[in-house]
Amino acid sequence: MKKALITGVTGQDGSYLAEFLLGKGYEVHGVRRRSASFNMARIAHLAKHPRLKLHFGDLTDSTNLARLIAQIKPDEIYNLGAQSHVAVSFDEPEYTADCDGLGTMRLLECVRLLGLEKKTRVYQASTSELYGKVREIPQSETTPFHPRSPYGVAKMYGFWITVNYRESYGMFAANGILFNHESPVRGDEFVTRKITRALGRILLGAQDCLYMGNMNALRDWGHARDYVKAMWLMLQQDKPEDFVIATGKQYSVRRFIELAAAEVGITVGWKGKGPAETGYVKAVNPPDGLETPLKKGDVIVRVDPKFYRPAEVETLLGNPDKARRVLGWKPETSFAELVREMAASDLALARSEAVLAKAGLGGIKSC
Amino acid sequence: MKKALITGYRGQDGAYLSRFLLEKGYEVYGADRAGDSGQWRLKELGIERRVKEIALDLLEPTNITDALEKVRPDEIYNFAAQSFVLVSFAQPVLTAEINAVGVARLLEAMRKTCPKARFFQASTAELFGSTGSAQKNETTDFHPRSPYAVSKLYAHWLTVNYRQAQGLYACNGILFNHESPLRGEEFVTRKIAAAAARIKKGLQETVAVGNLNALRDWGYAKEYVEGMWLALQQAAPDDYILATGETHSVREWIEAAFAAADIKLEWKGKGLGEKGLDARTGKVRVEISKEFYRPADVKELVGDATKARRVLGWAPKTKFKDLPALMVRAELKRLEGKKVTL
Repeated sequence: MKKALITGVTGQDGSYLAEFLLGKGYEVHGVRRRSASFNMARIAHLAKHPRLKLHFGDLTDSTNLARLIAQIKPDEIYNLGAQSHVAVSFDEPEYTADCDGLGTMRLLECVRLLGLEKKTRVYQASTSELYGKVREIPQSETTPFHPRSPYGVAKMYGFWITVNYRESYGMFAANGILFNHESPVRGDEFVTRKITRALGRILLGAQDCLYMGNMNALRDWGHARDYVKAMWLMLQQDKPEDFVIATGKQYSVRRFIELAAAEVGITVGWKGKGPAETGYVKAVNPPDGLETPLKKGDVIVRVDPKFYRPAEVETLLGNPDKARRVLGWKPETSFAELVREMAASDLALARSEAVLAKAGLGGIKSC
Repeated sequence: MKKALITGYRGQDGAYLSRFLLEKGYEVYGADRAGDSGQWRLKELGIERRVKEIALDLLEPTNITDALEKVRPDEIYNFAAQSFVLVSFAQPVLTAEINAVGVARLLEAMRKTCPKARFFQASTAELFGSTGSAQKNETTDFHPRSPYAVSKLYAHWLTVNYRQAQGLYACNGILFNHESPLRGEEFVTRKIAAAAARIKKGLQETVAVGNLNALRDWGYAKEYVEGMWLALQQAAPDDYILATGETHSVREWIEAAFAAADIKLEWKGKGLGEKGLDARTGKVRVEISKEFYRPADVKELVGDATKARRVLGWAPKTKFKDLPALMVRAELKRLEGKKVTL
């Protein structure tokens, strides 16, 4: 039986990947950080699986990683653990570097020092944020990087140290340069999930308004469920290589809002420009006969400049040709399907919140 | 009076820049590791007690903030680093802590305590790694080949990011190899210059080196520090390559250094078994040792300093033709107990 070690198993990608690998018959070891908040919602449905083992660990703790890798001797390591939020990295650049940059190197160095460099294959979660201020459109494996945030710079360290361990020591270490990938279990501090969470609540009157940053930013959005399959495929090849994983299609944040709103029966119109722009209700027709306090003309989207990044990444569009050609991978979920799934899931969540609130049980926490 | 803070001021570049800035009338503050390693450089330059030493360690964020608050520098030059490529393969964590995260700590402290100060980051040609044999300029893509280079790549881009996102006056000097009699002896150029001088004086038999065929662009550190200072005197911050534009092999360097010690070398054998012999006596003077090979080597590095010439008016004067001989002469003077011209 193959053994896989996943860092960041409690995150969006970690939970989808754990599920995927369990389905393939792997013994899956997940590393999670000890935290005051019980961050298990995404893997709760897998918690009792006999082949899933959870360990406490941290990418900033070398001896801890060494002990885990020495005990488990994994065939595959998926390094998904990271301080993964771009805006936070401007406030916590040092921690972001320690976790996302050095953390990757600590993992690679542990594999090497334990003499597992011929056995253990390593997947590094790289990111389209490396391209930042893009040098060409679309971005492929040969496009030069220009990171625009401490997060992007730390991830660039992770990318190149992975390449370096491959080139220096012949390790099977590969980078997946993943463009944005979302799902109903995306963290709600990320813009897509923030939007779908807000719209469900707004429809039911539990929230007044959605506050946004740059709505013109263009992104290439896929479904996390499809992307974890690409991660696995990358480690099943004859030789380690880096791959762009993307849909090759691009939409604005504004378009995401429009589609997500339409999913919950709201037609959004736009007024004004820049920080003064607002999104208002042009028409409302809730699904399933739901009641809504919303009426025509209500403003439900506003801009709050605090969500602007100090250095903005305006456009990201990936070219997944190499992944298609070499891995035989292609995205299976369309943008419309992704938005629909997220909006529907968060409307259901908002409805349970409303029921609980009515019963005086307060709010429930999403993941 | 302008105030400059130099991290790693007892290293080759730090020492030269200290003297340069003192001559310009700056008040110079220097930070370095505890102990007196590198003190000899300041002594030889005749500036031993003229730099004000300040406690600042790139591993210690609160200490950095404290130091910046005390000094309130107009210019900060960050030379502190684990700067030896080969060591970075054995100590990748320490290398990253100092060279990468250290710069994050420094920039963050600067943003909070003295955002008007100007910042110079010592970037390196090693960033280019294996990007082929063409001359590198400021738009050439990077491909680092060692934990050292990856850590310096982080620092490079973080410097760019603090310039673009936070509006700091922050510059990278992408420095191609720059040597001098003040170079550390673990670096191949100085190791060879010192060996050639000692062999000539009968104080050493042989010297062991790694890859003879590595090609590098070697300039004179004394001239490069002026380019660094110029980068901080412009209207707007930017990144600049400092290089000579010439490329020569380690083998050529060895031949030139030994020639400066009046020893003509002959090469015999191949690969790890290749040896450099004194053509007159037949004695083995140069040997190859595997320990000096990098796990992933950088074959060739040559820089195009056109932008520095155009914008900064900087151009290197001392090139390969004179540099090995200059360094061997300095070593001979040291052995003779004479004052070295630096």
